[in-house]
Amino acid sequence: MNGELWIEKVSRQVKGIFWSRTAQRIKVVVLGRNISDGLLANLILYGLLTIVAYLYLQPIFYMISTSLKNLNDLLDPTVTWIPRVVTWQNVSDAFRGLQYPDALKNTALIAISCSLVQVLVCAMTGYALAKLSIPFKGLFTALVILTFLIPPQIIIIPLYVIYSKLGLLNTPFVFLIPAFFGQGLKSALFILIFRQFFKSQPLSLEEAAKLDGASTLRLFFGIMFPLARSACLVVFLFSFIWYWNMYYEPSWFLANDFTPLSIRLDRLEDVLNPSLLGQRNTIENPVTEGAKMAAAFLIIFPPIIVFMFLQRWFVTGIERTGIVE
Amino acid sequence: MNQTKAIAWQKRLYFMKRYGIGLLFLLPWLIGFCIFVAIPIGWSLFMSLHKVAVVPGGFKYDWIGMKNFKDAFVTDNVFPIELITYFQQMLLMVPMIVIFALLISLMLNQRFPGRFLYRAIFFLPVIFATGQVLSELFTQGAGEIPFIEQYNLEPLIEQYIGKQFAETIMSVLSRAILILWYSGVQILIFIAGYQTISPTIYEAVRIDGASPWDSFWKITLPASVPFISLNVLYTIIDLFTFPLNPVLAHIRDNMFKMDTGYGYASALAWIYFGFIFVLIAIVLLLFGRSVKTRRDRR
Repeated sequence: MNGELWIEKVSRQVKGIFWSRTAQRIKVVVLGRNISDGLLANLILYGLLTIVAYLYLQPIFYMISTSLKNLNDLLDPTVTWIPRVVTWQNVSDAFRGLQYPDALKNTALIAISCSLVQVLVCAMTGYALAKLSIPFKGLFTALVILTFLIPPQIIIIPLYVIYSKLGLLNTPFVFLIPAFFGQGLKSALFILIFRQFFKSQPLSLEEAAKLDGASTLRLFFGIMFPLARSACLVVFLFSFIWYWNMYYEPSWFLANDFTPLSIRLDRLEDVLNPSLLGQRNTIENPVTEGAKMAAAFLIIFPPIIVFMFLQRWFVTGIERTGIVE
Repeated sequence: MNQTKAIAWQKRLYFMKRYGIGLLFLLPWLIGFCIFVAIPIGWSLFMSLHKVAVVPGGFKYDWIGMKNFKDAFVTDNVFPIELITYFQQMLLMVPMIVIFALLISLMLNQRFPGRFLYRAIFFLPVIFATGQVLSELFTQGAGEIPFIEQYNLEPLIEQYIGKQFAETIMSVLSRAILILWYSGVQILIFIAGYQTISPTIYEAVRIDGASPWDSFWKITLPASVPFISLNVLYTIIDLFTFPLNPVLAHIRDNMFKMDTGYGYASALAWIYFGFIFVLIAIVLLLFGRSVKTRRDRR
């Protein structure tokens, strides 16, 4: 009898605490009104993202740590992440082996000039496919998609012959001229991006400009192209990054003196250890591992800097271009 | 008579005016397409039907018909195996990349302080996930998921899935992180895709008492089917030029062999392209229907 009363009293008290205003407030803070705005949800979100981000970035950490290790640390399996002695030897080796300033100049020249040209030409083509009246428009669009699907391996030999006939090999023009004619690296993708962007622009804009007497050329360069700033930025950055990193095409078209960074990374081992020439890939050579990683880091360093400054505009730009609709 | 001619002339003038400016805009691309795509494609098809020998001052072609294509499957004992293994790997890698991108993009789509930082991190690999840097990392064995070795998963997988698939799975898992690096663009596409779903729908179902779990399955997922299909296609095309693709290495080796040469290499490239094309067609067929029904409903 007494015990039952006591239990009821306690349970009422517990309920009272549980339903009190403070408890409610705590509950809102921890669990949130929605699934996504409570403290707990945020903690889980942060935890998950941080773990995945750590795994995701691990190869970069590996790259940086390997490039700072000396030979002893590289061969010692007990040293995993933090080298015992930080050495800059690898970095200076890589700098020398890549002939960094020279190669950087080549790569930057190709990447920047080709990307700029590509932005303009792809915008024009995309605009034509989106808004202008052309016979067989569907066919042309299908052909653009086809060029996106064709793997470069199929056409690389004929291209090599054509470029050598045109005398373009070993010059930056071997990439600049196709870019000018809308056939640069992944141009088809960029054309489709621009097409999508211009399609989403309202027709009334054009009509208003036409009524005011603007020609199509004026309309494009005066209104549509400046309007496509966000799409331009996205295309420029992607194009810049892909030109910066491309390996397959320059390995065919560019030779000894005029080579970008990616080719020189491939040849780094020969440059640093001429005695091992011809034996590469057959042996794991720990001696140059550090230098290679340092070189890899030197290669990705400039794009990372560029990206760090532009990333905010980049992500919102992609959201705004409506690439995906 | 004269009048009809004049009318025809007028008509032509009208079309020239109407189409002229559009064609002017398209002209650079059109020229480029002819010189740098159409001619090389035709040439490469032509070569794949010939035995090509390099002689001083050019190529020498000997017509052998479909022999190159037949040899690829009958005589060559490396190519079909590599093709099959690579396709097995690809069938594993594509869902892996797309599902990973879907999950990460869902998390990144939440509003929380500092999400720009996380977006930047997950986009970072796009900067160098192409090219030589990546294959250098591959050869040095970076990018393993750490728990595979720790818990010794290999015998387990062999036991439960079978030996012939275990090898494929292990080779994919052993560089899982670097493969997941290929999901940067896909994550962006998903995030941009979610912006097209109007927030009022979420509000409406919340008032109707749907939990976030329900609203994910009933709204977010169906609405992002087109983006999933887009991402699957993009991933397949992206994996074409995967730096450590054994098929492409084999094609490249054959280009410089004396007895096979460019003709055979082009034939191999065309077979490879054919397989990819079939894969893309299947994906389009599978997703095409769902996308279409969604469009109709709109």
